[in-house]
Amino acid sequence: MIRYALTRLGLLVLGLVVASALIFVSLRVLPGDIAQLVGGTQASPDQVEALRERLGLTAPLWQQYVDWIGGLLRGDLGSSLLTGTPVASELVAKAQVTVPLAVMSLTVALVVGIPFGVLSALGRHRAGGTALSVGAQALAAVPVVWAGMMLVVVFAVWLGWLPPQGFPRAGWSDPAAAFRALILPALTIGVVEGAMLLRFVRSATLQAIGQDYVRTAAAKGLTRTRALVRHGLPNVGLSIITVLGLQVAGIIVGAVVIEQLFTLPGVGRMLVADVAARDLPKVQGELLALTGFVLVVGFVVDLLHRVIDPRQREAS
Amino acid sequence: MLRRTALATSALLIGALLLTSCTASGNDPAPSGEADPNATLTVRLSLEPSNLDIRRTSGAALDQALIDNVYQGLVTRDGDQNNEIVPALATAWTVSPDGLTYTFTLRPGVTFHDGSALTAEDVVTSLQTAQGDATIQNSADLANVASISSPDASTVVMTLAKPNIDFLFALTGRAGLIFKNGDTTNLQTAENGTGPFRVENWNTGQSLTLARYDGYWGDKAGVAQVVLDYIPDQSAATNAAVSGDVDVALEIDPELQSQIEGTGNFTIESGLTTDKGILAFNNQRAPLTDQRVREALRLAVDHDALAETLVTAQTLNGPIPPLDPGYEDLTGSISFNPDRARELLAEAGAENLSLTLTIPNVYPGTLATFLVASYADVGVKLQVKQVDFSTWLTDVYTNHDYDLSFVRHVEARDFGNWADPTYYFGFDNAEVQGLYAQSLATTDAQQSSDLLAEAAQIVDDQDAADWLFLSAPRAAVGTNVSNFPKNSLNVRLPFADVTVSSE
Repeated sequence: MIRYALTRLGLLVLGLVVASALIFVSLRVLPGDIAQLVGGTQASPDQVEALRERLGLTAPLWQQYVDWIGGLLRGDLGSSLLTGTPVASELVAKAQVTVPLAVMSLTVALVVGIPFGVLSALGRHRAGGTALSVGAQALAAVPVVWAGMMLVVVFAVWLGWLPPQGFPRAGWSDPAAAFRALILPALTIGVVEGAMLLRFVRSATLQAIGQDYVRTAAAKGLTRTRALVRHGLPNVGLSIITVLGLQVAGIIVGAVVIEQLFTLPGVGRMLVADVAARDLPKVQGELLALTGFVLVVGFVVDLLHRVIDPRQREAS
Repeated sequence: MLRRTALATSALLIGALLLTSCTASGNDPAPSGEADPNATLTVRLSLEPSNLDIRRTSGAALDQALIDNVYQGLVTRDGDQNNEIVPALATAWTVSPDGLTYTFTLRPGVTFHDGSALTAEDVVTSLQTAQGDATIQNSADLANVASISSPDASTVVMTLAKPNIDFLFALTGRAGLIFKNGDTTNLQTAENGTGPFRVENWNTGQSLTLARYDGYWGDKAGVAQVVLDYIPDQSAATNAAVSGDVDVALEIDPELQSQIEGTGNFTIESGLTTDKGILAFNNQRAPLTDQRVREALRLAVDHDALAETLVTAQTLNGPIPPLDPGYEDLTGSISFNPDRARELLAEAGAENLSLTLTIPNVYPGTLATFLVASYADVGVKLQVKQVDFSTWLTDVYTNHDYDLSFVRHVEARDFGNWADPTYYFGFDNAEVQGLYAQSLATTDAQQSSDLLAEAAQIVDDQDAADWLFLSAPRAAVGTNVSNFPKNSLNVRLPFADVTVSSE
């Protein structure tokens, strides 16, 4: 087990190293230039060059990369070229919007996906089950942006129950308002992600129903449902954990889009603004942090598999 | 000579920006209650500044937020009075008859937001720094200054190497702003200006809060706080107005305007701007070097129909907009005529022409679609290359690598770009350059304006570009808000006189 964990950890670190190189290179290939943007349309080439020097952009690329990695090893994600603020502190500030949003979205996805997925599998020969399955199919195909706009129209504009956009300026020191501001965005991401989860849970459950051990349990006298819940679902759970791991990445991507739509001052909106401003040291720090987060989630999922599934433990 | 041309980066983010002849519901509404000195004014804007360093960071978002509100120069301009030059940190000034010596009398009792008093030395060093440091925005505006000095504590004298009738106007811009000498404030995230508002808080990605500066030298600001709410998405902005989250929404989407009007809490205003939608022709690249081709491209576009399609736009028939000196109504100088366009192209041997339009992706797709269809009708195949603004700056602005390009030039009095062959327009006409130089050198405003008009006529005759439209953005102003400025809101938003009434 420990050897396994160490191997996975090694892969995680390797993944980060590869990601850092990919992020660095792809951002440098991006057309456009921060010095040109800062100078704007009145700056002559000489002025842009002076700005470039001021911003410390004259060092060769390999040296910029080595400096960045050196900083990372000291635990320094870098700083913004435009404000001088450390990336880490910016991320912590913006995470106060994005992390609660992600947690709420995930909760919605779980509440929608798991019970209804199982129900739709159990009721597959009844109208209700079919309706659930068709509904999920439709919802999973809906673009997040459209779902968000519809929710806003109904709950914010027509009913006026929730704010249509924005986040309270006081932040979490006004917890009720902050929570209310995140409900619609979280529903938007959560329902779409939940619909995908529902479809997965449904097919996994259907598979479990057909398994020999479930049939055997039923033959011993359990009802079909009880046999499924006792013996089928724990097996389903394993693959659901894997899918959830992937969905965390989906939720982060969803948050980037949704934060634009709802004007939420979170990590996603910051990232988009920083790319537009070509604040590359900041963007690369942010991207690496997000990549690291997704890789860590994958790592935890792998370990959980081991812990939960005796078959995998024995196999090694 | 390189002149300022801040582009409408702010306005641009918006999708469908443009409308026709202003059906603004006119009449200043009578505010429903007494002006409340403790009120907060919340204003929706679309584009947020990337930092607060107004000396070094381009972009109209900073001009809107900080000039006149937080930072001031010796003089400023009154957008609602034809951009007239008015006193700010100087109470008065004189110009010598030869137009070379400007003598400013400093206003007494001015303090910076940290409490220290403004001195003549602060003024002199601010202007000297702006002149000497190329990384300061619009530094080129002061290139012609020979000396800056202060003979006594309440006077600052600037002498020019040669007369420049636009000099005072230049001082109303970035290069003329006054900072405290030796200040250690980190201007990227904080400020220390002399204006009626302090920057109280900047929530990046969300809002910038200005608070009344109680030590201000003039009439104290009419509201206790101004919150600039940065909401890029148009429907989110509309919702914010409808639900009462903002008192004023700038640059609203005309398609969503009725929702805002429907609340009965807003009037829709549309002021004048100097925001020119310019379709640049690369005058240095064949076949656009041929005037017949350029003229044909202009004749192929029905400008009235375009303005109607875009809604927040009106036609502009030449390089100078109505708010600027040298404006002449050039209506009729070019009128929609596809047949003539086809003839001209045939004459120029430019049939089956294929051109590329480089356009920042912040502009509505309607515009490119309209041009593609118009040009197709005269046999010109237009390929649209959408790029982000940063790429546009590199490819078009810096490297001049383009056939056609579209951006909005928001800044006032930027005719000099047509007299600068190294500008990305690549328009090189000795007569225009001569007239422009004369227009600057004269000390007579009327003569200067006439010279500019003459030069503008040539630029128009030469079809140096196609002036597609003049922006007429719409603002939804709450009925509880009084004295909100009207003109050129995309470059200046002076909030000092605005009041909000208690309902």
